[in-house]
Amino acid sequence: MISKVKHIHAFTSIKRERALPVAGHVLVRRMQKVSPSDVIVVAPLVPQFILLDIAQGLNVKPTRADELLQRQAGEDLVQGDVIAGPVGLFQRVVRAPLAGIVKMAGEGKVLYEISSPEFELQASMEGTVTNIIPERGAIIETKGALIQGVWGNGKITYGVVQPVSNDMLQELVVEQLNIGFRGAIITAGFCKRPEVLEAAGIVPIKGLILGSMSSALIPLAKKMDYPIMIIDGFRETPMNRAAEAILIENKDKNIALNAQELDTFLGNYPEGIISQSSTTEADLPSEAETLKVGKKVIIINGPKAPQIGQIDKIIAGKQVLSNGVGTRLAEVGLAGEKRVVIPLTNLEIIKD
Amino acid sequence: MDKTTIASKSVITVDIGSTVTRSLFFDVVNGKYRFIAVGTAPTTAGVPHFDVTEGIWRSLEELQFITGRHLVSEKDGVIIPSTPDNQGADIMVATMSVGKPISVVTVGLLDTVSLQNARHLAQTTYANIIAEISLNDRRTSSDRINLLIRKRPDLIIITGGTNNGASHSLLSILESIGLSSYMMAENQRPHILFTGNEQLQDEVKSGLEKISKLRIAPNIQPVLGIENIHPAQKEINEVFKEIRAKQIGGISEVISWTEGSFTSTASSFGRVIRFLSEKYEPEKGVLGIDIGSDATILAASFNGEETLRVFPNLGVGSGSAGVLEKNSLELIKRWMPIELPDQEIQDYIYNKSIYPSSLPLDIEHLEIELAVAKQAIRYATEQTIPGLQKQLGAGGTLLPYMEPIIGSGRILTLAPKRYQPLSVLLDGLQPTGVTTLALDQNGLLSGLGAVAESNPLLTVQVIESSTFLNLGTIIAPLGVARPGTMVLRVQINREDGRSFTRDIKYGSLSVLPVDLGEKVSLHLRPLNRFDVGMGGPGKSGKVNAVGGVFGIIIDARGRPLQFSPDQEKNRKRNEAWRKTFSKYE
Repeated sequence: MISKVKHIHAFTSIKRERALPVAGHVLVRRMQKVSPSDVIVVAPLVPQFILLDIAQGLNVKPTRADELLQRQAGEDLVQGDVIAGPVGLFQRVVRAPLAGIVKMAGEGKVLYEISSPEFELQASMEGTVTNIIPERGAIIETKGALIQGVWGNGKITYGVVQPVSNDMLQELVVEQLNIGFRGAIITAGFCKRPEVLEAAGIVPIKGLILGSMSSALIPLAKKMDYPIMIIDGFRETPMNRAAEAILIENKDKNIALNAQELDTFLGNYPEGIISQSSTTEADLPSEAETLKVGKKVIIINGPKAPQIGQIDKIIAGKQVLSNGVGTRLAEVGLAGEKRVVIPLTNLEIIKD
Repeated sequence: MDKTTIASKSVITVDIGSTVTRSLFFDVVNGKYRFIAVGTAPTTAGVPHFDVTEGIWRSLEELQFITGRHLVSEKDGVIIPSTPDNQGADIMVATMSVGKPISVVTVGLLDTVSLQNARHLAQTTYANIIAEISLNDRRTSSDRINLLIRKRPDLIIITGGTNNGASHSLLSILESIGLSSYMMAENQRPHILFTGNEQLQDEVKSGLEKISKLRIAPNIQPVLGIENIHPAQKEINEVFKEIRAKQIGGISEVISWTEGSFTSTASSFGRVIRFLSEKYEPEKGVLGIDIGSDATILAASFNGEETLRVFPNLGVGSGSAGVLEKNSLELIKRWMPIELPDQEIQDYIYNKSIYPSSLPLDIEHLEIELAVAKQAIRYATEQTIPGLQKQLGAGGTLLPYMEPIIGSGRILTLAPKRYQPLSVLLDGLQPTGVTTLALDQNGLLSGLGAVAESNPLLTVQVIESSTFLNLGTIIAPLGVARPGTMVLRVQINREDGRSFTRDIKYGSLSVLPVDLGEKVSLHLRPLNRFDVGMGGPGKSGKVNAVGGVFGIIIDARGRPLQFSPDQEKNRKRNEAWRKTFSKYE
C-alpha cells in the first residue's frame, strides 16, 4: 500500500510557489535571494469597479450619451473629472466620484476601476527565486528543516523559534508565557485551555506551533491574530518526537511559519521552514512511498498517535480489529515499547 | 434488444470517490448480466499524486487480480474493447464525487420564487452557494459587479421570469454579470448557466456567449409554480465535469477511456433511483441514500419524477467535521449507546476529517462514526422532506411513504455487524408506513446508474440478481400515544399456513422472526387511530412482505424520534435498541 509521506525533515530541499490568483506586478527576478519580508508580487487583490449610468445622469438616450463621453477606455480619472457632458440648459455633466481608470465606455454607461489598495505578497521564507510566474508570482527554493502540520489558522509569520521547555511532552500553560517570549514563535506539546491562547496574544508572541490541541479551541484559534499550526492532530498528546527534535535543535533560529489551511487537493499543508545555508546537496522529498518492512512511520490516528516507530511486519491478508472492522495491519515497533498492531490506513511514512 | 446491449457485454464502471476509487466489473453469465467483482484503491486526486488515473489504475489492477482477467496493459492502458481472448472490457463508464464543492452564485428575480429554483438546481450537484443576487437585495449594478469579482465563483446559475414573463429586470442583472466576467482574466471567468425566461435566450447568447462559458437550458420555471429542473440538471452535470476536468488531474484521460460516459456520482445515483421507480412500481416512491466520506446524497423518485439533493461536506470521513458544524455535538451524541467524554468525541471527529482514510481501532470510536453517519442522514433527510412533501402535494414534516429504501456507502457496507447499517438507516431516515430497507452491499448503485443510459438491460438484470441485501421489512405506525399504549396488532401468516399475532406498544422496537427471503402476508390493524399507510388513521389492511436479514421490524418509537435532554437516558435507550437487533445477528 502506498502512503503519503509526512514531511518532517531535519534537512531537505524545499520548493514553494508564491503567487496571487489575480494578475499583478512581479517585483523579483530569477536567481534573486529573498528574505521572508521581501515582496514578490503586488496587485489589487480585489479590484473595485463603479458602473456609471451616463445616459441617466445626463438625462439623454444612451446613443446621445455616447456622443457626449469625454473619456475612453484606458484613461485615468481623478476624483471630480468630467466623464461626460456638458449638455442641456444647465450644462449637466457626469463627474468621477473617485479616482480610477476607465475600463469600458459605451451604450450610455461607463465602467471604471477605482484605485484600491494593493496587496503585497511576501516571500514568507528565505530562499532563491528559481522561476518567475508571469504576472502572478515566483517559485522560491531553499534548503533546511521542514515541519508539516495538519491544521492552521490561516495566518503567516516569520520569527525566532523558541520552545517553551526542553521537551514538547507537556501541556502549554499560562504560567509559561512570560515576557521573554515576546515576538517569538513558541512551540509546545499541546494546548487545551482557551486562556492560554488569549494570554499568548497578550504577550504577544509572534506564532505558536503545537503538537496537538483540543478541538474545542478551534473557533478561538481561528480568531487569534498570530499564526497557529498544529502538527499532529486534535487531542492532548505530546508532539511527535521527530518534530520535537528538529524544533529543539533549531532553537533561536528563524522559522517561516505558514499556518495556511489544509487543502489536500491543492497540496497545501500548514508548515514551518527553517532555512539553512549549506552546500550539502539535498533532494526534494518524495510525496508518497510504499509501506513496507523497515519503513519509519508515524501513527496518525487512534490512542497511539502520534508515536513514531518502524514497520516490523506487514500481516498477510485482511485482519479483524477488536471492533470487527476488517483491514490490513502492520506490526510497528515503537521506541521503548513492544510492538503494536496498527492498520496500514492509520500510518504515514516519515523520513529520517 | 438494444443494439448497444448486443454489441457490448463486459462493462467496467469506475467510481472516483473522495477517499476510495472503486472499479466494478460486469459480464454476461448464463445469458444474463451479472456483477462479477470489485477492485478498490485509495483515490489519488490530491496530494501526493494529483491525478485520478493512478487510483483508477490500482483499483483495476486489484480487479484484474480478483477476476484473473487482463484489464490493463502498460502499453495500451485500459483494454477497451475486449479482445477475442477475453481481455479487457467492452465498455467503461465512470462516476466521480471527489473534489471540493464547486462555488456557485445563484441569480434570480425574487428570493422566494426564482432564487429558490436556482438553489434547488445547485443542490443537485456538489456545490456550495457562496452568494445570491436578486432584485430584492437592493444592490446596485456596481455592487453586483464587485460581489462577483470578489467571490470568483465557478458557476453562476441564472433563473427568473416565466416564459413570456419579466425580462427587463433580469436584463439589468445580466448586464452586471457580463461586465464582471469581462473584467476577470479569461481563465478565471465563471461558467454561466441560464435557465430563465426562454424569450431572453437570444439576448443572453449575444450578451454573454463571447465573454463566458455559457450554457442555456429550458426555463426552470416556465409557468409560475411549476418547477422543471431536469433539463437544467443535465447541463449542470456537464458544467460539473468541465470544472472538475480543469481542477483535477487525469479527468481528460477518464473522459477519453469512457468515450464521454462520465458523470457525477450524484447524477448517476439519482438516475438509478429514478430508473428503479419507473421500472418497478412507479406509483410507489423509491428512496436512495448514499453516505460517503465527504458528501451525502439523497435521491427519491415518485412516478419517475426525481428529487436529488447533494450535501457536500456532510459525510463520515473528510466531511465528518461538517456534520458537527452543521449540527451540534449534542445531536451526534444522542445516537450513541456508550458514554464517552464530549472532548474525545469532538477530537475524534476532527481527526477523522484530517485523516479520512484512518480506521477506528475500538468499539467506542466505531460508535462515534456510526453516530456521525446517523446524524448526517438525519440532517439530509430533514432538509429534503419539505421538497418531497411538496412533490406529493402534501405538507407534512415526516418522510413520505417510500418503498423500497436503499442505503449505500462504505460506512454501511463495511460495518462489522449487519444491525449497524440497519440501525443507521432506520434512525437516520425514520421511514413511515410499510417499507423495505435494503443495502447496496456491493456499492453498485452509482455504477448501475451510469450504465443505465447506454445499457439499461444490464442495470435491470443486475438489480434482479439479488444485488441488494434485504435488511428487513419495516412497519412504522404513525400517531401519538403514551409509551406502552397498544398501537398496532400484527398478524403474520406464513405460506405454510402457520400464523402468529403480535401486539405492539407505542415506544417499542421489535423484530418479528421471519426468515430471510420468506414470503408472508401481514394483516395490520392499527389501534388508537394510528396510521400504517393503509389509507388513513385507524385503517387496517393486508400487505405481502418478504423477510429480511432481520425479518420484519416494527418500529413504534414514534416519528420523529423524540430524545430526552438527559443524555444518559438516551444512551440507555440506544443500548436497548442495539440489543433488540444484535441478538438476531
